Amino acid sequence: MAKAEFKIIGSSPARIGGVERVVGKGVYGIDLMLKDQLHGAILRSQYAHAKILSVDTSEAKKIPGVHAVVTAEDAPNVRYGRSYIDRHILARGKVRFMGDPVAAVAAESPGIARQALKKIKVVYEPLPVVIDPEEATKPHAPVLHEDMPLPKTIPADAGIKNVCGHMIVRVGDAEKAMAEADVVVEEAYETKMIHPQYLEPRIAAAQMEPNGRLTVWANAQAPFPVRQEVAKTLGLPLNNVRVISAGLGGGFGGKGSGITSGAAIEPICGLLAIKAKRPVMIVLDKAEETISTTIRAGAKMYIKTGVKKDGTIVARTGKVYYDAGGYSGFGVQAGGRCTNMLGGWYLMPNCHIEGYTVYTNKQVCGPVRGPGGPQAAFAVESHMDSIAAKLGMDPAEFRLKNIPKAGDKIVGVPKLRDVSLGETIKIAKEKIGWGTVKLQKNQGIGIATGSWIESAGPGGGAIVKVNEDGSVTVHIGKIDMGTIPGFGIPLIVAEELGVPVSDVTVVNVDTDASPWDAGTVGSRGILVSGTASRRAAIDARNQIFKMAASKLEASPEDLEIVDKQIRVRGTPAKSVGLAAIATDAHNVIGEVIGRGYCDNLELMAEEKAHGSSQPFTTHACIVEVNPDTGNIKILKYVAVHDIGQPIHKAAVEGQIEGAAAMSIGQALCEQVVFDQNGRTLNPSFVDYLMPTINMMPRIETTLVEGYPGAGPYGAKGAGEIACVPPMACIANAIFNATGVRIYKLPLSPENVLRGLKAAGKA
Amino acid sequence: MGITITTKINGHSVTATADASTSLLEFLRDTLEMKGSKLCCNTGECGACTVIYNGKPINSCVTMAADANGAEITTIEGLADGDKLHPVQQAFIDTGAVQCGYCTPGFIMSVKALFDRTKKPTAQDIEEAISGNICRCTGYNKIVDAIQLAARKV
Repeated sequence: MAKAEFKIIGSSPARIGGVERVVGKGVYGIDLMLKDQLHGAILRSQYAHAKILSVDTSEAKKIPGVHAVVTAEDAPNVRYGRSYIDRHILARGKVRFMGDPVAAVAAESPGIARQALKKIKVVYEPLPVVIDPEEATKPHAPVLHEDMPLPKTIPADAGIKNVCGHMIVRVGDAEKAMAEADVVVEEAYETKMIHPQYLEPRIAAAQMEPNGRLTVWANAQAPFPVRQEVAKTLGLPLNNVRVISAGLGGGFGGKGSGITSGAAIEPICGLLAIKAKRPVMIVLDKAEETISTTIRAGAKMYIKTGVKKDGTIVARTGKVYYDAGGYSGFGVQAGGRCTNMLGGWYLMPNCHIEGYTVYTNKQVCGPVRGPGGPQAAFAVESHMDSIAAKLGMDPAEFRLKNIPKAGDKIVGVPKLRDVSLGETIKIAKEKIGWGTVKLQKNQGIGIATGSWIESAGPGGGAIVKVNEDGSVTVHIGKIDMGTIPGFGIPLIVAEELGVPVSDVTVVNVDTDASPWDAGTVGSRGILVSGTASRRAAIDARNQIFKMAASKLEASPEDLEIVDKQIRVRGTPAKSVGLAAIATDAHNVIGEVIGRGYCDNLELMAEEKAHGSSQPFTTHACIVEVNPDTGNIKILKYVAVHDIGQPIHKAAVEGQIEGAAAMSIGQALCEQVVFDQNGRTLNPSFVDYLMPTINMMPRIETTLVEGYPGAGPYGAKGAGEIACVPPMACIANAIFNATGVRIYKLPLSPENVLRGLKAAGKA
Repeated sequence: MGITITTKINGHSVTATADASTSLLEFLRDTLEMKGSKLCCNTGECGACTVIYNGKPINSCVTMAADANGAEITTIEGLADGDKLHPVQQAFIDTGAVQCGYCTPGFIMSVKALFDRTKKPTAQDIEEAISGNICRCTGYNKIVDAIQLAARKV
């Protein structure tokens, strides 16, 4: 599709919602102030694994200013969860990680609420704790969920415990092909837990309305799942719960999995509001958030690959232990994805990987920015370099030797429509100076590729209303956290309706008014709401043309809208204002309301027929290793991405740069650290290190065109994929500089120095 | 125990009472209901609550409200001139540096303080000025672009 066809698509106009954000208007959940609101606070487990023998709230209830104290006994005995329904909103009988909610209070001030929490007496019987997901599967490990069955695919006599997800990837005969390979490389990699650390703390506010309905304000990425789960866990009819999305100060998937994400902060807040008969608001403290809300899980990955002497990959086997945490959360899906991606995105004729998602006494896994992908890619792409080294091949050439082409299959994808992988590798090589740049002492160059999923997932709708002044109001189910509602959607609607971007308003999600949506997750914003909004805008345009046609004495097919004027193509003098037609509509159909959908079955059929047009990427970097301290400095970093047709170019670049930064953080410094009792040692920002400007290189982004995706105008999702390659990219550059392979994240000075010392190089 | 605090905020004299343990950030957000300065880490690490205090950028979450007594404070609400945005505010919008926008007020205040010190900041000056502000959305590229754009306009 040629660029010239578009009026606005692919440009970078000012974000809708930018002005209120730069002048400090209160647009976020945390800025809410309900009349007469009480302050809610949550008592969390002080043990990672314990029986609850008793909870005594009587002293807390006596404190003046305390209006409600709730425990599991005050809520219906109903569990929630995604695929494994294994969790109560307040712990019942047992706690499974430090941070598990046990009780909650609502009081006149935060101080009184904190004081009341201290007066709640919980008697625990501590149980043995298990932290490592592989250890947790072994016979001697404590059992976390006595009443949850193993997945059906695991035999009862397998001697495996605590598994809530099991994924088997099997292509061809991997064991036979491995035995016949010329060269076999076998390694083990491990990534650690990181917290998404969006800057706005999680909040929830709730208020019982006079008509018996419960209104919940949430800075959640998935307001509709929150509605469904609040109704279920509080025993309310669905239509008596309304969830209003407050603006989000970041999410990154950490606010993306219904009430799981915030450890049930929304229903707990609702329960307090019901008991106190007053509005209640809960704001999590950042350290409390780190220990209690959903995280990017760690994974242990065993990977073994057989290749021919010429570099052709013939087989892969592997095993994944993916850490679910105390409850299944999003672990089953993320662990499954990680297992699939351990098979890589190169040609892989034979593959056998077993993946286990395992309960441990830690924070719960959420769908954090590319769930499962960055973990798998650290192993896959580090391993690719190890194989290349053993073969004596150039790592980039080894990759190019094994890339799929259009029509090929890769693990988990039966057919690819077109494949940009090779082009991204070639461009990245050129941009970083592969083979040409002169490296100084202790400097190394690294490359790593990645891919991400495209179409499968829930659909979604859009409503486009044309107001009597010709401005446009759009309802979609995706929330605004710096993503499509402020960037891509206004462009799409403006493109189709011939209005200025600034005339488009995208309404915040309100479950009473917005189209249902599964959540702003999975890089699906542009695919789902972009497709639906485009179709809704076209539907609205068709209605407008029908009404304008008689006025202009022309056929609807001959009309166009330019600058809010409906004109006869080729005869621009014959025109009528969009505002006039929209006003006329009052006496005809009332209002021009366009409807559009993203139909998942249609997408899947398209993919089945023509193949997946998923995105690919290659990152490359140059690092300098300080052999005395183990410190890594990134000197240059390039990110080459095929995301199809960019809708809002600056927004796409911003997503890529931000996602890369998050994984560069995980590569160099980020991790949630535990002691053997399951206590988080670095909950606050004082100890949880994240990239600041000092650590970050300038990320040089290149967008590769010519590979249209399944989204509107050929767009592909861009929010997650840049999280996939950075860890391996940096690890490979360290390997190039030192000859030392680091198998465990982070690539912190401590771990790098340990690796250098073990190899006798420091 | 309440204390009375008289301070000058964005050029206006303000007097209000607050608990002695109130932070300047709580005083701004909860007592005065000025929600522009953002609460995040509450430990002085992320810079989301940055305000200009007697000419210097500070983390208001780790400053006592009592210390504001007699001080001059500029917050994000005080930068625009009516509907006309400050060049730094406009540059953040124009370069796409405002994604979720939660860190933005803090960054803008740090940059405003930088431009108060020098109209021609070097790359090193820029890095230093925002080294106490964390952004989780942008990877800092577009924030640096915004600062460089604003530098041409202030």
